[in-house]
Amino acid sequence: MSGPEENVEPAELAPAAKAELDRAFEDFYRAHLRDVYSYAYYRVGNHHDAEDLTEQAFLQAYRHFDRARRESDGRPLRPWVIRIAHNLASNYYRDRSRRPQTPLENAAPIATRHDTEAIAEGREELRRVMKHLDRLPEDRREALIMRFALGMDNREIARAMGRSDGATKVLIHRAIKQLQEEMEDERSE
Amino acid sequence: MSEASDRLTGSTWDVEALLTDALRPIEPPERLSGRVEDTLAAITQAAADELSDWAEELSEGELHALRDPRNWVRPVVAVGAGGAATGALVLLELRRRSRRKSESGLRALTSSFRSRL
Repeated sequence: MSGPEENVEPAELAPAAKAELDRAFEDFYRAHLRDVYSYAYYRVGNHHDAEDLTEQAFLQAYRHFDRARRESDGRPLRPWVIRIAHNLASNYYRDRSRRPQTPLENAAPIATRHDTEAIAEGREELRRVMKHLDRLPEDRREALIMRFALGMDNREIARAMGRSDGATKVLIHRAIKQLQEEMEDERSE
Repeated sequence: MSEASDRLTGSTWDVEALLTDALRPIEPPERLSGRVEDTLAAITQAAADELSDWAEELSEGELHALRDPRNWVRPVVAVGAGGAATGALVLLELRRRSRRKSESGLRALTSSFRSRL
């Protein structure tokens, strides 16, 4: 008999159980596709790789979905799937020894939609903040993406990054402080 | 007053406001949804096909022996799957074969009936 620690591949389940799992996964997939894609996009900086990363994240999630549901105790699974995407993104850089092909500062205008000319100056500021975000250490940058692009709270970010709530709070605080200092330094130069 | 000046208080940037604006959620392209669903469907189908291909090679005697779960070790190894899954797949294959057999029996009966007419 399968214990809670055992992972059973979806293809190994009995047809009725697999049908139920597939339905639940479809709901899960629809609910989190935008989050995973947004996260992937801000990590890799281009749509092509973001699509690949999102697809791989959901394929991995599907394989372990049954076990994740059993072990979640009713807690949301968003941090879990973002953690999968995070690991894949880390491997993406490690395997190919590269940084995002498109720097985040170039990615910003795609992500934001402003339709008046008066906002042009604001766009420049957005580009600037993205440039500095791109230069932050990976863990700080990632925590800010989770907070601002995905709207995750400290607890969710902590679970996604495998850290304590306290350490995550400090990480985000330092990331914002560093960004602020660097932007101010640039302005005063 | 521009948005940029709204975000600058004295010499301090409101970085959180800038980040909120800069890091907006990105809508995934329409094609991505179908692409992931197709891949998942293909994986499931591949697992079933793998067993089916293997089962095609069996003689009727071997297939008959598979009705006993004690003989499911070989399919488990063949498809690299767990016991319960392989059991389900073996049963499906047995049903499929038996359906095909009864269909061919019916076809034979029909053609024999036609030839008599």
